[in-house]
Amino acid sequence: MKLLIKIAWRNIWRNKVRSFVVITAIALGLWAGVFVTAFVQGMMTAKIQSIIEVEVAHLQYHQKEFRDDLKVNLTIPSSAEKLNELEQDERVTAAAGRLVSMAMIGSANKSGSIRVVGINPSKEALVSSLSTQLVDGAYFEGIKRNPVLISERLAEKYKIKVRSKLVLTLQDRDGEITAGAFRVVGLYKTDNNMYDNFNVFVREQDMRKLIKVEEDYHEIAAMLTHQDLAETVASDFQKKYENLEILPWLDLAAGMRIMNEVIGLYLYIIVGIVLLALLFSIVNTMLMAVLERVKELGMLMSIGMNKTRIFGMIMIETIFMCMLGAPLGLLISWGMITYFGEHGINLSGASYEDVGFASTIFPYLENQSYIEVTGMVLIMALLAAIYPALKALRLNPATAIRKI
Amino acid sequence: MNVITTSNLSKVYDEGPVPVYAVNGVDLEIKKGEFTAIVGPSGSGKTTLLNIIGGLDKASSGGVKIGSTEIENLSANELIDFRLRNIGFVFQSYNLIPVLTAKENTEFIMLLQNTPKAERDKRVESLLAEVGLEDRMNNRPTELSGGQQQRVAVARALASKPQFILADEPTANLDSKSTANLLDIMLKLNKEEDTTFVFSTHDQRVIDRARRIITLEDGKIISDEKQHVQ
Ligand SMILES: Nc1ncnc2c1ncn2[C@@H]1O[C@H](COP(=O)(O)OP(=O)(O)OP(=O)(O)O)[C@@H](O)[C@H]1O
Ligand SMILES: [Mg+2]
Repeated sequence: MKLLIKIAWRNIWRNKVRSFVVITAIALGLWAGVFVTAFVQGMMTAKIQSIIEVEVAHLQYHQKEFRDDLKVNLTIPSSAEKLNELEQDERVTAAAGRLVSMAMIGSANKSGSIRVVGINPSKEALVSSLSTQLVDGAYFEGIKRNPVLISERLAEKYKIKVRSKLVLTLQDRDGEITAGAFRVVGLYKTDNNMYDNFNVFVREQDMRKLIKVEEDYHEIAAMLTHQDLAETVASDFQKKYENLEILPWLDLAAGMRIMNEVIGLYLYIIVGIVLLALLFSIVNTMLMAVLERVKELGMLMSIGMNKTRIFGMIMIETIFMCMLGAPLGLLISWGMITYFGEHGINLSGASYEDVGFASTIFPYLENQSYIEVTGMVLIMALLAAIYPALKALRLNPATAIRKI
Repeated sequence: MNVITTSNLSKVYDEGPVPVYAVNGVDLEIKKGEFTAIVGPSGSGKTTLLNIIGGLDKASSGGVKIGSTEIENLSANELIDFRLRNIGFVFQSYNLIPVLTAKENTEFIMLLQNTPKAERDKRVESLLAEVGLEDRMNNRPTELSGGQQQRVAVARALASKPQFILADEPTANLDSKSTANLLDIMLKLNKEEDTTFVFSTHDQRVIDRARRIITLEDGKIISDEKQHVQ
């Protein structure tokens, strides 16, 4: 064994260029696999982060069927008690109630359909990042009567500015159409253009007057100490309030659960393609290494080196190259992920925002994934070595020797 | 006692339009301590015969006995192990593992045989001394002349304490001085250690120094004679 290791190690350095190619291929393959994974994970993490912070918090309560068409009278009974109960739970960091309704927005030029959310500004700040997304104006400050917070995009679309007036038209709880004049207090901007186009925020008390809902909320949103708790906490309360619909973030944002799975699959496919390319490059070079050494291998078999040892020698050669290439690839990946994880990769040219992704990606990878990808690359490299090693075994010493 | 016995040994290549009898009914006995040259024109079957005797190639018919073992009864793996323990090989070229030094190449066979380290070290030194390479022990093949490489190959072949050494044109790539030098060493080993050598050659100067000369033509033995050398 020691002998095989010695020969295999020295064989690597016989054809430096070729070994360098294999080592580089392994390093690059590993890098590509790891980096793509980190990139997509960074993208997903940012997306989840933004969905949780901006849109849905960790979990939400609604009256059953409320989410289908936002019927004004489907409020959550005893909202205040439920909010209180949530705030008492030690897994919950904050909870807030919201009124939500479809509405028409109208400015001097234009009108369109949006969603109005009535919030308690200071409580809302604890469950969403809305208050930190302002690009102009202020977060419900400076305008006394009927302030409204809209997105920068909507402002552009309707050609309105901070302090401009706009009219919101909605239905009250009796089904009557009612309208209110609001003044723009601030403009916000998130990573998700669709969200921006669709949501405007007013104060809870202003909205209550319009829709004639005196108490209770349409929606209760809560933030937890950790996002992984969402499913358990949601199902705990769901059991308690069977008449309500209590869902974790994964089920609240449309398509989130599926996207999570699809992206996982997509990652496997990409990493698979990278590994396949790696497989072929290793098979190819190791095959060259074997064919080039036919005479020598024939001589070794003639003088009494058995098949197990020949096979072992070729495998060990490949393993050595992996052991040189893998740490190199990991080091490069780790360096790049750490660097870009801090500085971000700017993709604002690629219109990721239109589909709801952040334009700056911060690649991120769990230690677990480094180990997984490395494991896959190493297994692939071993698989790649088998064919050339078998090829070496099939050599007939008499024929190989005749070439001498 | 016979080291090598072949009986009615034949090898036919019948892939071509007409079957080629590379070896055709060879009966041969080689005894311990003989120094035998196999000679004959190109294509007469020397390499084929040596390969079959060495267990590298299979005969079409007939049998080979090495000592008391009928080698055609061995499985592929047994045959490799048999070669390792019983036959020393010296080829025309590509004898040595390029990445190992002269010492390591000689030691290689003993490592395959799991010889203990102390014995290996002792034997390697004495073998390399016998072929006159004690001062080139740590050189790799590329740093040795052709003749020196062949001498390492002889030392390596001897390292396994084989029953005989088989050499297919061991001097074909050597100049006359190296040829004479290699022959000197082979003859000395033959005389002093009673090592059995069977080798093929085209070289008249080599033939002149052989003790037994077997001449092949079209795969058949056409003469088998002994000669006295000093
Ligand atoms: N694999 C093969 N297939 C077909 N015929 C072969 C094969 N190997 C050898 N032969 C034929 O067998 C005959 C004997 O060849 P061999 O190599 O044993 O001769 P040789 O005496 O060693 O010749 P040389 O002196 O040129 O080395 C030749 O006619 C050769 O063409
Ligand atoms: Mg020949």
